[in-house]
Amino acid sequence: MALVNLTGIQAGDFTVLAEDQTPAEGATVAVPLSRLRDEGDDFFKVAGPVGAVLATDTNYTDLAPLMNKLAFVVIDFPAFGDGRGFSLAVRLRKDLGFKGEIRATGPVIPDQALFLLRAGFDTVEVSDAREAAFKAALKRFDTFYQTDYTGQVSLAHARHGKNQERKAS
Amino acid sequence: MYAYDKYDHALVNSRVAEFRDQVERRVKGELTEEEFRPLRLMNGLYLQLHAYMLRVAVPYGTLSADQMRTLAHIARKYDKGYGHFTTRQNIQYNWPKLSDTPDILQELADVEMHAIQTSGNCIRNVTTDQFAGATADEIADPRPYAELIRQWSSFHPEFSFLPRKFKIAITGADIDRAAVKWHDIGLVVKKNDAGEVGFEVLVGGGMGRTPVIAKTIRDFLPEKDLLSYLEAILRVYNEQGRRDNKYKARIKILVDALGADEYARQTEEEWQKIKDLPIDFPAEEAARIKAFFAPPPLQVLEDNVPAVDELAKKNFIFGAWLKNNTNQHKVPGHVNVTISLKPHGGIPGDATAEQMELVAALADEYSQGELRISHEQNLILPHVAKKDLPAIWTDLDEAGLGIPNAGLLTDMIACPGLDYCSLANARSIPLAQELGKRFDDFKRLQDIGPLKIKISGCINSCGHHHAGHIGILGVDRKGEENYQLLLGGSGAEDASKAAILGPGFDENGVIDAIEKVVAVYLGERTDGEEFLATYRRVGPDVFKEAVYGTR
Amino acid sequence: MARKIKGPQMIVANRLLDGRVVFMKADGTWSAVAGDAAVAADEAGVEALEVLAQKSADENYVLSIEVIDATERDGKPFPAHMKFAMQAKGPSVRPDLGYQVSPAWEQTDL
Ligand code: HEM
Ligand code: SF4
Repeated sequence: MALVNLTGIQAGDFTVLAEDQTPAEGATVAVPLSRLRDEGDDFFKVAGPVGAVLATDTNYTDLAPLMNKLAFVVIDFPAFGDGRGFSLAVRLRKDLGFKGEIRATGPVIPDQALFLLRAGFDTVEVSDAREAAFKAALKRFDTFYQTDYTGQVSLAHARHGKNQERKAS
Repeated sequence: MYAYDKYDHALVNSRVAEFRDQVERRVKGELTEEEFRPLRLMNGLYLQLHAYMLRVAVPYGTLSADQMRTLAHIARKYDKGYGHFTTRQNIQYNWPKLSDTPDILQELADVEMHAIQTSGNCIRNVTTDQFAGATADEIADPRPYAELIRQWSSFHPEFSFLPRKFKIAITGADIDRAAVKWHDIGLVVKKNDAGEVGFEVLVGGGMGRTPVIAKTIRDFLPEKDLLSYLEAILRVYNEQGRRDNKYKARIKILVDALGADEYARQTEEEWQKIKDLPIDFPAEEAARIKAFFAPPPLQVLEDNVPAVDELAKKNFIFGAWLKNNTNQHKVPGHVNVTISLKPHGGIPGDATAEQMELVAALADEYSQGELRISHEQNLILPHVAKKDLPAIWTDLDEAGLGIPNAGLLTDMIACPGLDYCSLANARSIPLAQELGKRFDDFKRLQDIGPLKIKISGCINSCGHHHAGHIGILGVDRKGEENYQLLLGGSGAEDASKAAILGPGFDENGVIDAIEKVVAVYLGERTDGEEFLATYRRVGPDVFKEAVYGTR
Repeated sequence: MARKIKGPQMIVANRLLDGRVVFMKADGTWSAVAGDAAVAADEAGVEALEVLAQKSADENYVLSIEVIDATERDGKPFPAHMKFAMQAKGPSVRPDLGYQVSPAWEQTDL
């Protein structure tokens, strides 16, 4: 496995904990959301920086109580066509104001590299064979038709030199 | 017409380069078919029964004469000399090679066309009224909005992997020629009391095995809020649309499950959070795009052209063509001409490279170099001076394109069916051909009047049978082609679902049944009453009895 | 994977590069003509054909492999069902166009 860094942030170095594994004191770990909810503060007290592994069908409102505790988030795609993962990342950035690392795992494909970046992901875990294709795909487009939640403003604005503006109401 | 700027060019060109690379990786084995399939689909490339099929978008149905010539050139160079115009304002080529498709896409890109998002679980080619910007009954030209949506939806980072395909249609006229109520999102251009332009927004329409007519979730959305509101609708769908069952994945199922009111509420709630962000186009961009669609400078002319009336009196076919195949333009003395691609005995929607070139030449000479494609699989010359009609018709007639049947019984929609489509249960085209032969008398057709027959080769409903005044659905009955007859559908502003009349038929049986249905109509109709109105008034029983006899 | 078969079977696929319909011959090569197809009468035979066909798919020569019911027409193998018969013959409405009508198909440069 290789890690492709989309945004150039300091990527987290963590292990994903098995169901019944107790975190070593101060260790950087990622665990399924359900466990964080069940074990609550006890878990956060023991571990170091903690991240949540999210299924794509996670309702983002369930994450709100954890926002100031999570250091990073992993969104695990069961299939590359499961587009909920993109909306979930958007929700984390837009509705929850999450600033930490968002990582994609699962069978995502190189041709999604820019979509992932623009939806708010920072890093993607890919097979070694795919690393080069992922990096190449990141360079394919440099203009975009949409405003997104990572600071990119739409071409419709850029065409008129309006790179920062809010909508006039 | 919209003209690409350097950014549009760059994006479409990068997309071609990307696809060229994907094809190379597939051929070398670096991509499996499973991985490649969604990528090719997002570039309009299907695998059909006999070969690949490439679906090229004609955004909102408008194209230039030069673009049409490129379509003809592609048909000749890379295909077998013809193309098929579809109900979604696309053209399909039936025989391209995978290895040629990057070159085809490059030739398209060079004339500002593409096949982006003509398939796959993404936002598809936005469709609209074929007479947009040219018809007398219009509130505003819907095409600038369609172009704004085209740009916004192309390569959308969040909405390129939806639960299922997503189709948006928009109309700017009172008469709905775009079947907006049968789309995932339908937009109807409206003016509010203050005279401002906006949209009525409908969601959840669709055909397939669960036909649903879209429901209004907002009576008036200001123009400036269009994209943020669409984003809210799409986000709710992307998050909650079903992904466990492909037949329940369309937005219509979610809208039905939540209820239209709840869908509206969730959309509204999300929209309130994003509507002030710079998602929507700034006013300058709307103005820039609208300028491309400024009406052509047409001179006001006499509506009365004696030479045209005389020819109509002398020549019955021309007279019928004048009546059926022309539509009043908003500038007096002008019309929009519908070129029927439904010759009796021919393949609905097919056009040869030569026919495309002729139509392009006519567009250069008579219609400001502009052409349209209708969702009823016909071609349109907009902005034509009435005085030019005899010359146009003569040229068309010589090329087999002067058929005066627009809107009549033989102006059928038919999907490719089992002759090309790998999902089909039965053939559609031979049925259409046979119907054309049975009803080959233009006096009779004229007497029958407006009647829409729509034929699908399977329940996917590409031929819109649910929306046909008469719908035909091909099914597989123990390995034999069998056809069900449906009555009473409409794809227009009075949208309704057609209902199955009774047990199915073989090919000849269904055509006999249509003859009987037509006979009932002719017997029951009151003065000037069209087929659909009669059906709605008298109900299905009389028809049932005529077709199946009394029990 | 042993499975029950109902009758004689043959294999049809599309060529990757041009999509055209091809039927698999006994030696694992492919022909545009249904009559050239190898037919297997029992499960072991079908499995052997599948293995051969999969090899062509792995070599990226064909895709969309289907094992289909075979019947006979003029003493030669032919698909039993309508859909696959359509593949063998080309579109019924354009008998002039199927790849099957072009005897030069082997020579096309791919
Ligand atoms: C020949 C290859 C084609 C294939 C494989 C194909 C496949 C499909 C499928 C699977 C659906 C159902 C989707 C769903 O309900 O989720 C569908 C619907 C549809 N297709 Fe096609 N189609 C083909 C050709 C066409 C053509 C030629 C047209 C236009 C004439 C067309 C227009 C449509 C339309 C209008 C619908 C209905 C949309 C709705 O359900 O709301 N398709 N097609
Ligand atoms: S309706 Fe069915 S048969 Fe017709 S084109 Fe669509 S999928 Fe094919």
